[in-house]
Amino acid sequence: MKICQVERPLVSTNRIPGFEHKHLLVVRDGSTQQVAVDAVGCVPGDWVICVGSSAAREAAGSKEYPSDLTIVGIIDHWPPETEAAGPRGAG
Amino acid sequence: MEIRQVIGSLVCTHRITGLGHWDLRLLQDTKGKQYVATDPVDARPGDWVFVVSGSAARYAMGNAAILTDLTIGGIIDHWEAHDVAAARPTAALAAKAA
Repeated sequence: MKICQVERPLVSTNRIPGFEHKHLLVVRDGSTQQVAVDAVGCVPGDWVICVGSSAAREAAGSKEYPSDLTIVGIIDHWPPETEAAGPRGAG
Repeated sequence: MEIRQVIGSLVCTHRITGLGHWDLRLLQDTKGKQYVATDPVDARPGDWVFVVSGSAARYAMGNAAILTDLTIGGIIDHWEAHDVAAARPTAALAAKAA
C-alpha cells in the first residue's frame, strides 16, 4: 500500500461502463499524480492509503472491477512535515 | 491509474488474435515517454485520458480474454496541461497537424 494525498475529483463523463459511477480522485504520491477509485468517501486534502494490483479490483467492489489503484483508508493523523514534499501549503 | 495524453493511433494489422480488432492509441506522459493502449472509448488526439494498467486493463476491456496491459479507462472532461508539472506541447501532435 502507499500513502497519497487527495488533490481533487476527476470528472470523466466518457468512461468505460465497468467503472460504473464510482468517484475517481486525483491523488499525489510524492511528485507524481495518479487516479484512484474512492472506496471510502474522502475529500481533497485527506491523506489516504491506496492498494494496487488485484487487491485494487476487489477493494473497489468486485474481482471484475477494472481499477489498478483504490483508496482503502483515510489516515487519522499524518506527520505534518511530510506536507513539505508536496506543493500544497498549509491547505 | 495514470493520466496520459493521446497523440495518435497505431495501425497494426498483423497481431495476435488475443488483441481482437481493438483500436490501439499512442499515448504520451509529461516526460515525453510513449505508450500504447487499447481504446474502448474512442479517444482522439489531444484528449487527456486516464489509463488502467496490469491485469485490471484486461477487465477494463470488458473481457478478461483480451491480451492487453494498458487500457484507456475514460476521457477526462477538463484537464489543463499546466495541471501537470513539466507538461509541454506535444511535438508529435504538431507533426501530425503539419
